[in-house]
Formats: sequence, structure tokens, C-alpha cells
Amino acid sequence: MAGPKSTTSSASSNAVRSLLRAYNENTSSRLKFIDAFLLFLMLSGIIQFVYCILVTNFPFNAFLAGFGSCVGQFVLTASLRSQVNPVNRAEFKDVSPERAFADFALGSIVLHFFVYNFLG
Amino acid sequence: MLSLWPLLAALVSLSISSYAKSSTGDSVLVVLDPSLQRDNFSIFFKGLEANGYDLTFRAPKDVQPAVIQDDHAEFSHVILFAPEAKSPCYSQDITPQSLVTLLEKGTNLLVALSTKQTPLTSLAAEFSLILPPAGTPLVSHFPERDTPSTVVPVNVSVNPVVPSSLPPVWFSGTPFAFGNNPLLVPILNASPESFAADSDRDSGADAVYDAAEKGGEGFWAGSSLGLVAGFQTLGGARATWVGGIELFSDEYAEKTIGGIKSGNEPFAADVASWTFQESNVLRIESVAHHRVNETLPRETYTINDHVTFSAQVSKYNPETSAWEPYSGISDLQLEFTMLDPHIRTSLIPVPGEPGKYSVTFRVPDRHGVFKFVLDYKRKGWNFLESTTVVPVVPPRHDEYPRFLSPAWPYYAGAISTSIGFLVFSALWLTGDNQEQKKSKSAKSE
Amino acid sequence: MPFAYQLPSDVSPATVANTSSLLRIIALALISGAAIASRLFAVINFESIIHEFDPWFNYRATKVIAEKGFYEFWNWFDPTAWYPLGRVVGGTIYPGLMATSGVIYSLLHAINLPVDIRNICVLLAPGFSALTAWSTYMFTKELKDESAGLLAAVFIGIVPGYISRSVAGSYDNEAIAIFLLMFTFFCWIKALKIGSAFYGSLAALFYFYMVAAWGGYAFITNMIPLHAFALILMGRFSSRLYVAYSSWYAIGTLSSMQVPFVGFQPVRTSEHMAALGVFGLLQIIAFAELVRTHVSSKQFQSLLYASVVGMGITGALAIIGLTYKGWIAPWTGRFYSLWDTGYAKKYIPIIASVSEHQPTAWPSFFMDLQLLIFLFPAGVIMCFRQLRDEHVFVIIYAVVASYFAGVMVRLMLTLTPVVCVTAAVAFSSLLDTYIDPAEPDVLEDDSNTGQDAPTSGTSTAVSTSSPAPSLKKAKKAAAAAPPAGPLDGLVSTVTAAVSSSKKAGKPRGVFGLDTRIAVLINALGMLFFFVMHCTYVTSTAYSSPSVVLASTNPDGSQHIIDDFREAYYWLRQNTPETAVVMSWWDYGYQIAGMADRPTLVDNNTWNNTHIATVGKAMSSSEEVAYPILRKHDVDYVLIIFGGLLGYSGDDINKFLWMVRIAQGVWPDEIQEPNYFTPKGEYRVDEAASSTMKNSLMYKMSYYRFAELFGGNQAVDRVRGQQMPKVGPTLDYLDEAFTSENWIVRIYQVKKDDPLGRDLKTANAFAQGKKRKRSKPQVRRKAVS
Repeated sequence: MAGPKSTTSSASSNAVRSLLRAYNENTSSRLKFIDAFLLFLMLSGIIQFVYCILVTNFPFNAFLAGFGSCVGQFVLTASLRSQVNPVNRAEFKDVSPERAFADFALGSIVLHFFVYNFLG
Repeated sequence: MLSLWPLLAALVSLSISSYAKSSTGDSVLVVLDPSLQRDNFSIFFKGLEANGYDLTFRAPKDVQPAVIQDDHAEFSHVILFAPEAKSPCYSQDITPQSLVTLLEKGTNLLVALSTKQTPLTSLAAEFSLILPPAGTPLVSHFPERDTPSTVVPVNVSVNPVVPSSLPPVWFSGTPFAFGNNPLLVPILNASPESFAADSDRDSGADAVYDAAEKGGEGFWAGSSLGLVAGFQTLGGARATWVGGIELFSDEYAEKTIGGIKSGNEPFAADVASWTFQESNVLRIESVAHHRVNETLPRETYTINDHVTFSAQVSKYNPETSAWEPYSGISDLQLEFTMLDPHIRTSLIPVPGEPGKYSVTFRVPDRHGVFKFVLDYKRKGWNFLESTTVVPVVPPRHDEYPRFLSPAWPYYAGAISTSIGFLVFSALWLTGDNQEQKKSKSAKSE
Repeated sequence: MPFAYQLPSDVSPATVANTSSLLRIIALALISGAAIASRLFAVINFESIIHEFDPWFNYRATKVIAEKGFYEFWNWFDPTAWYPLGRVVGGTIYPGLMATSGVIYSLLHAINLPVDIRNICVLLAPGFSALTAWSTYMFTKELKDESAGLLAAVFIGIVPGYISRSVAGSYDNEAIAIFLLMFTFFCWIKALKIGSAFYGSLAALFYFYMVAAWGGYAFITNMIPLHAFALILMGRFSSRLYVAYSSWYAIGTLSSMQVPFVGFQPVRTSEHMAALGVFGLLQIIAFAELVRTHVSSKQFQSLLYASVVGMGITGALAIIGLTYKGWIAPWTGRFYSLWDTGYAKKYIPIIASVSEHQPTAWPSFFMDLQLLIFLFPAGVIMCFRQLRDEHVFVIIYAVVASYFAGVMVRLMLTLTPVVCVTAAVAFSSLLDTYIDPAEPDVLEDDSNTGQDAPTSGTSTAVSTSSPAPSLKKAKKAAAAAPPAGPLDGLVSTVTAAVSSSKKAGKPRGVFGLDTRIAVLINALGMLFFFVMHCTYVTSTAYSSPSVVLASTNPDGSQHIIDDFREAYYWLRQNTPETAVVMSWWDYGYQIAGMADRPTLVDNNTWNNTHIATVGKAMSSSEEVAYPILRKHDVDYVLIIFGGLLGYSGDDINKFLWMVRIAQGVWPDEIQEPNYFTPKGEYRVDEAASSTMKNSLMYKMSYYRFAELFGGNQAVDRVRGQQMPKVGPTLDYLDEAFTSENWIVRIYQVKKDDPLGRDLKTANAFAQGKKRKRSKPQVRRKAVS
């Protein structure tokens, strides 16, 4: 019983390492830059969520606004990443990378407008 | 020369004698049954005239002067001294139904009853006075006296209308029991040893008691019986019911009891002055409400506001015939009501401002349409009623507390996201050229 | 290949494109004109007046915007509604409609066109119906092509199912909501097709507008996630889906919480949990896809797959657990009664008593949709043929909307757009087939092709042979078949059934000009009948203001019955401004709007206990009702009585609902069986039960009714029963006003008796009756 587990765990740790290696090699620096931003947003969101659960969820609208801004910005950036990724060019025939960034900026501005309206 | 001064003094004293005017008017209509002599009641009527009332006399059958003309009450007060008149002798304007209408119009009423069954008996029932069967006057064998047992001296008990320091009052007529209408004001109650019976010989007493025991006729006896009762209507008019007209007669006024003169004359005068709205008359001059730090009232208040409510109350002074501020009410209450009272607090007289009562309270945490309700009803006084409607609204959307400290992590999160977005876009746009050049060079290769 | 008729060959493609776009613009303009014009029957026949009940409240709210500005409206507390509880209007309405009218009002006034606010309110719905037609055109264009779009625009422009709620004067939320619905769906489909976050954000913005406008936004909240979920199950997850859905959900949900009435519902109620669940699922799947591209190891892949499924199941269980615990509210009564249709009658009688909430009868489908209803399944099958992502959406929409339309009459409105779209697709395919001039090449086996010549136009569209160009399309579709997914088996059988008549290589087509003309003339004839039907139904059934009734005199001229306005204006001009009026909740908004007096309950029906109090007052005797009336400071009581005229929507017919609602709160004081005869009949004549005869509603309805008939037998025309010669008497109320045809009766509540008696004995004394002799009160012990 210990055997298969250790093999799977070692296999999974090997797999994680190979995944990280593959990621480092295959992703361009621009995509990594986007990924860094994504990571920052995710951490910010997790901190707010943990605070909400552990300390207090009053005022709830401020929590929703703050958390929503992290989540919204995250998905918009993830969308930008998938649209800019050259692997997906076949999917996004009508959306050039410049158009993708414009969409991203517009969406983010609208998102932040609602966030600040709801925050206060 | 010397004899002139007493004359002058007499004249002057006459003019400054107690000259109390009523707060609602001076015209009095006395409906006097023709079988009664006006002179038998001269002390009472002269007392009224000396007080400044204009008395007009007429018989029950007369149509003129009419009490109500064209739906308008012609007289401020009506004295109905026709205790034994049967209904054919009544003109149209003083039937029992018209008398109720008269009270609704604000005319005060002083009515005398007798042991006979008359239309006034059915009217008395409307005032929740329960009369004994016809022909059963008040009978009392105590105290020992040489008058017949139907002529009874009654001690004046404590009541809101007449001072109880008055000497005993001679009474003969019918007593009545009280129903449970809270608007009744007992003025003179029968003595504990008296009862209503149809003869003054005790031989029939057992029969009366047995009848009462079996629950048939009912038992009119004891100090719970009333002889003179006042009634304060909700509209403000007062009506007084007297069990026998002899109470007002000159004979009883001059009769002595135990060596001292009876109290009939001052008693009758006090009863008349209460009935004619001279004494115990209050009114609210004005009410005001505002927020604690402001002076003007607002159209709406917000929940949890602190609001001050004040009322100005004055009492009528019959001597000066003027309304004077009155701070003597110790139990005035204010209710802040929406269907049910949410706040019930006492209005305290403000020291230093005569007649002003005020209280400050916090508006409840519930929005809706509230009323400031002042509802003061005490026996013997007329009623103070005031209702002011005021909506209470929830806070406006920008009146809620903002920038709360527990929310700083969220503010920081949102601001950091915005800053991150701006930094990211700036870096992305400036970095754009490099990538394009790289990819172009890669393509060209 | 031969052609049935010659096309001009010297026209350049650019000219063709320009001419066709010009024709489309003209067609859309004409469609807008037709849409607006067909909604103006009520304005022309009667006058420019707000109809029905709910629009009166919206009109009052819009007047507050017009007179006092948006800030006051946002914080408006109405002390005259639901007296004395008041109503916080700012936080309990969907402000989209009023805000739209307010903006239009300000714009027009800014350019010095002083249009009265009432006219803006009355004509807003026709104006927006033109926009609805345009947005339906855009939506259908994504499904098929512009010609189908134009057909869809025409259909939705004049179809009675939509007109019924958007006629001029019907100033209700649906007036702008259907436009927003179609436009949001269009933005969603466009976002999905292109994979653009811009269209996703646009869809979110219009979704926000829709949330602000109508409570039916929950339909969009569940349709789009359902569509996304179906695509995932079909194996059609793609980055475009991720981009479109995520941008829509993130911005849309956050913006929808800005509306105070919605508040935190998107994260706390079951109706919104589907959207959240699909959002989470999409994030997990996108992440898994991303990781998969980097890793080739099969073992890791299967582990990842297992963990993704595990996370998905955990998320679902978490949502269910939170719902069970109560942190997430379960489905509210309004939506729950759509699933469990018997629920409302038992537990929420107010919802069950609304006539719009009754199940739909079969004839109303035909009346509202005519030929579209049998083109509808044909169009859905056609969507199965193409089966791009947007066709999946239309199929899901069609199925869901059909269910809901069957449950509640009111929801016919949500079925109408999808019916128009699919019918347009089907009809346009038919027209395409027969307008296309290409004739197939004649091969050796003539017989096969001849058999497939179509006979009649419409409902057998499935079996019509597809023209030759579509053969190529079908091949292409087969080549680009969707990857493996759970629904794929079903999909492939359906497509196989549809294209079963096709055999590879066999040319299909329509020969001859005469066949084409025959079918096309038939089709045009059907369209013509459709227009005739729509116009007829609109002018007769859906254009009555319901505030004013119309009937015909024996000589054919129109007789207007204006009792409602007569009574409301009497109230307005003859009662003090703070006089409180009690009536059943149906008329609350109209009394507030036209008579401008405080009311006790109105159509908002937010407080069941208050409505039950009114119901109790109406169904109890005078002695029991009078303290309730005094406690609520009621000065006037208003009832509707149709017995003289035969108007069957009166309060005696609604009386049992009042009893039921009161019984729900006071079951030991009010029992419904007491109002029926011992045999169980509902009677109002001599045989009526004593509870019924003593109830306030009965007395107020029939007070002095028998006097009208001058000694003859009085007849109640609505119930068809003969009334007793001696009518009821009233002690606690005075009759204040009765309108011309006795439809509206207003009674004044008497004040306290000055002698403190109860009014019944006071009245008896005033009429000269003798009181019973009473005895002195008994003392329990001897008084010392």
C-alpha cells in the first residue's frame, strides 16, 4: 500500500517539476508578465476573502467590491492572456492583440467604475 | 353725606362681586315647566344672572325661542326644568334625539329628572344612567330629622366639581345607578343608608329586597347611587343630570340642617358653573415639534433622530374670563404612534415657562408614518386631544456612515487592483514594440 | 447549371452590397414604423392615458423624477402608500424604466421641446418596441443571415404576444425589458462568436440595465450559464467561451448589485447560484486546459482530470451545503411556484390570485402567435442542423421558454422573442430555397428528385429537400463535427434524421419557375394573414385602457363607461388631502395616481399581513371591522360593484380571495366555509349565509341597491341572482358617493359617538327605538 502511494506522490512531484520546467521554457516573457499580474491579483483576493471569513464581513458591500475587483480584473487579464497567446490565434480570428488590449482596458475601466461605486 | 358712602360701597361691592363668565357664551335658555313657579327658584336664577348670564324662559311646548334654528344652536346653554312633562308637551326641538344633536353642537345641558317616567328617562339611559322603576324616590331614614324620609340631607363627598367642604345638601327625587361609561362624572352620591323604594314605610322593604335577590328588578341602594352626575361629551359639551328639581328650590336653599344653613345655594351655583364651562376648562393653545438642535419643525424625520415635542396648555379663569397658561397637570402623556404606540412618555411642565410641557425622545428605529398623540382625559375636566402626523424616513443613501475602519483591507484591495491595472497597462504598452520587433524578426528569418 | 430565372449579370458585387444594405435600412425603418403604429390603437380610440394598474405607480414615480430630480427619487419615501407603514420606494423598485423616462424628459427639455411627462410615459413602449425589432434583427443575423433577421424583426414588431405588454399607455417594466433582453442576448452571442471581452462587457452593461429594469432578469441570469454549461457538456469549451462568460459574469454581477432592490441577492440566493457555479467551473476548466498544454504525461493528465472533477463536485456540494444551512436563500416563492405549480395556491394565495399567474390556455398560444407557433418547432430543428454555439443557445431558450409559457400566462412574453427568431429562421430558409434560381443538373435517376418536390409551404419544412448549395454545407458541417461529448450521441442522431433524405452525391433542387411562384405566393399569403390577424387582435383585445370601459349601444355607437375616473376625481376634489382610502389592493395604484390620496394597500403586495387586515375588515361584520378602520385612520372605503351593469370584475367576485387571504393570518376568526350556503354554493340572495350577509363587503355592495328597482325584484346581473327586497343597513359607515353606473361606491367612516356609545345603539336611539332596560351593576360584596 505504501508503494503505489509513494510512486504516485513522487510521480506527482516529478510531474509538478516537469510542469514548471515546461512552463518556463514554453511561455514568452510577455505571457509571464501577465501571469505575474494574475498571481498578484489572486493573492490580493485570497487575503480579502480570508479576512472576510476570519475577522468580519461587515460592511459586506465593501468586501464584495474589493473581492469583485480582484476577481474581475483576474478574469479580464486571463482573457487578455488567452487572446494574446499565439497558440490561440486560430480561435480569435477577429480579435487582434491590439484589439484584445483595447477590450481589456475598456472592460477594466467599466469594472473599476462599478467597484468604486459599490465600495463606499 | 355719611349715608352716601355705604351706598357707594354697596354699589362698588355689587360691581366687583364674583362676576364669572362662561368660556363658551352667556346665553341660557331655561325651559321651565308651566306647573313650576319661577319664583320658587329665584335664588338660583338670580345667582346665574348675577354671574352675567342672560336667561331666557320658555315652556316646553313653546316653539319660540327655538334651541336649534337652521341647524345652528341659538343658545350656549340650556337648562331643562321640566321633570314631569310627558312627551306631547315637548316641542320638536327638545325631543331626546334633538338634545343629543344639541350636545354635538356644543351646547351645555342641565337636566332635572323626577320619579315619573318621561322621555327624559330614555334619554338618561343613553348617558348610561340606570334609573329605578317609576315612582321609587330616594328614601333614607338616617339622619334623624323631622322632614319626610323622601327629603334627604346628603353629605357632599369628594368629587372633581364641587368642593367637599360644603355643608350637606337637601335632596328629594330619584337616584340613578351608573353604567360603565367612563365619560360620567359623579358629583353627588347618595348616602350609604339610602335606597329607592316606592313607599316610605318599611313594611314593603322586604319585598324590595326579595325582588332584588331574585335578580328581577335590581336593587338601587347605597353610596354607589348617584344623585347629581355630570357627563363630559367627546365633543366638549357638558351635560349634568340632577335627580330632583327641588335641589335648586329656594325652600331647600334656606332650610337648615343641624343648625347650619344647607349647602344647596353654593352647590347649585358650583354645578351650574361646571356645566356652563366656567371651571375645570382646559385647552391646548399650540403644539410644536422639532429636532433637538433646531427650532423649526421638519416635514419628515429620520429614524433615530432626537426630537423635542412641546405643548402649550391653558386653563380658563372665570374671574378674569381669560385663558391663562396652566402648568398644574402632572400626568400629561405623549404617545408616538404608528398603529400602536411605539413611545409613551410623560410631558413634563417646563419650569420657568408657565403652561409649556415638553419632552425629548429618540424616534424609533422604524420608518413609517407616525403620529404625535396627546390624549388627556380626566374626570371633571374637559378633554385635551391633539394629533400631529409626521412621516419618519430611513436615512438617505449618502447619510450612512462611510469609510469604516473594518473595511480598510477591502479599500486597499480595490485601490491596489486599480494601481496594478494602470501599471500593467503602462508596462504592456511600452513593452509592445519590443515584442513586435522580435516576432517580426523571427518571421523574417 | 441551369437557372429557373435569369439574374442580372452586369451588376458589380459592390453595387449589390450597397443596394441590399440600403434596402435593409429602409426595411428596418418601415418595420419600426409598423411596430410603433400598431401600438397606437388605444391612443387614437380613447386618449393618451396610462392603462391598467401597475403603470400608474410607475407614472407617479416618474413624475417624482421629472419634478424633483433623480436624487429625490433615489431616496423617495412615499408616506401615502401602505398607510401608515409607508413605502421606501427608492429601495423597493426597479428604477430602470423611470430613469429612462427621466433621461428622455431631460433631453427633450434641454433641446427646448417641452413634452409632458405623461406623453413620454405613454409613448415610451412603442418607441422601445422599434428598438426591440432592431435588436431581434441583429440577433437573428448572427444565427442565419440578414434576411432571416428582417423577418424576425417584422414578426416581433407586430406579434400580439409582445404587443399586449407594450401598447401605448402600458407603461410597465416589460416595455423596455424585452428590448434589453434581446440586446443582451445579442451581445452575448456576439461575444461568444468573436471571443471579445468588449462584447462581453457590453453584454454586462446591458444586463445591468436589464437588472435595473425588470424582475425577470433572473431569466438571463440563468439562461447564459445554462448555455455555457451545455456547451461544456457538449465538449465545446473554448477560450472564446471563457473570455465571453467571464467578462460578462464579473462585470455583470458586480454592476447588478448596484441596484438597491437587488442588493446582495446575486451572492445569497439560489436563483443566482447557477451563474456562480458555471463561473467557477469555467475557471477550473480553463486552468486545466492551460496546464494540459504544458504537460504530456498521461498519468498526470488523468490525475488532473480527476482533481478537476473533484473540485467541481466539491464546489457544487459547498453551494448545496450553504443553501441547506440558510446562508444562501432558497428559491423564493415567486420563482418556486414556476416549478411546483400547486405551491402558490396553498401557501401564497396572493400570488395565486393574480389573473396573470394562471396557467396558459391552448387558444392563447394561437391568438398571441398565429402562424409563428407552428413554424417554431421547424425553426428549432433547423438550429439542430447547423448547431453552432449560438444555435445551442436558441434551442435551450426555446425549450425553457416553452415550459414557462405553459406554466403562467404572463410568461408568454418571454416565449415570444424566441418564437419569432426561430420562425424567422424556418421561414427564411423556405424563402431561400424557393427564391434561389439554381436548378439542379438532371441525372439518370430523375424519379428520386421528382418525388421530393414539395407540396405545401410551411409546417413540413423538415422534409423539404435541401437545395444543392447546402449539400456542400452539410458536408462541411459533418467534417467539422464537434469533438466527443456526452450530448454528442443525441446530436448526431438528430442530424442524421434531418439529413436522412440526403444521399452523398445525389443532387437535390427545385425545378421550374411555376413551382417557385406557387410556393412563394402561398408563403406571402400566409404572411399577409399573419399581419391581418395581428392587427385584428391588437385592435380588439389588447388596446383597451381598462380604466375606461367601452360598450356598444343598440344603435352601434360607442358608449363609454367612465365610472372609475368619475369616482377617483370625486375623491380628489371632495375629500381632504390627508383622507385615507381603504380598498382592495387591485385599485391602490389607480387611487394613488388619479385621486392622489393615501391608500392602505396597493398592487405592490409586499406586506401580506396588511392586505390580510384589509381582507379581514371587508369580510367581517361592521362591529368587528370598525375598530380596524379607526385604528388605521381610514376615512373612506372604496369598493367596486358590477351588479347593475354586469361588470364581472367587481369586488364581490374577488371576495373569496379576500376571505382566503384573511384566513391565512386569522384562521380562527375567518373561515371560508362560513361564506357559503350549507349546500356549498356561493350565493348573495336570500339564501346567503348570515356571515356573508353581515360582512362589510356585502353590505356596502348592496346598500340601497334594491331601491333602484322601484318595488320590482332587484337582480344582480353578474351573479344572476335576485336580491331580497329589503337591503342591508349600515351603522358605522355613511354612503358618500356612488358613480353613474354604480360601479364605484365610496363610503365614509363615521367618527366616534359624542356620548361614547357604540354606533349601532346610537343609530337605534336616533331612529327612536327604545333601549332595553338595564339593571344596576352587581357588587360582589357589601359596600361598607
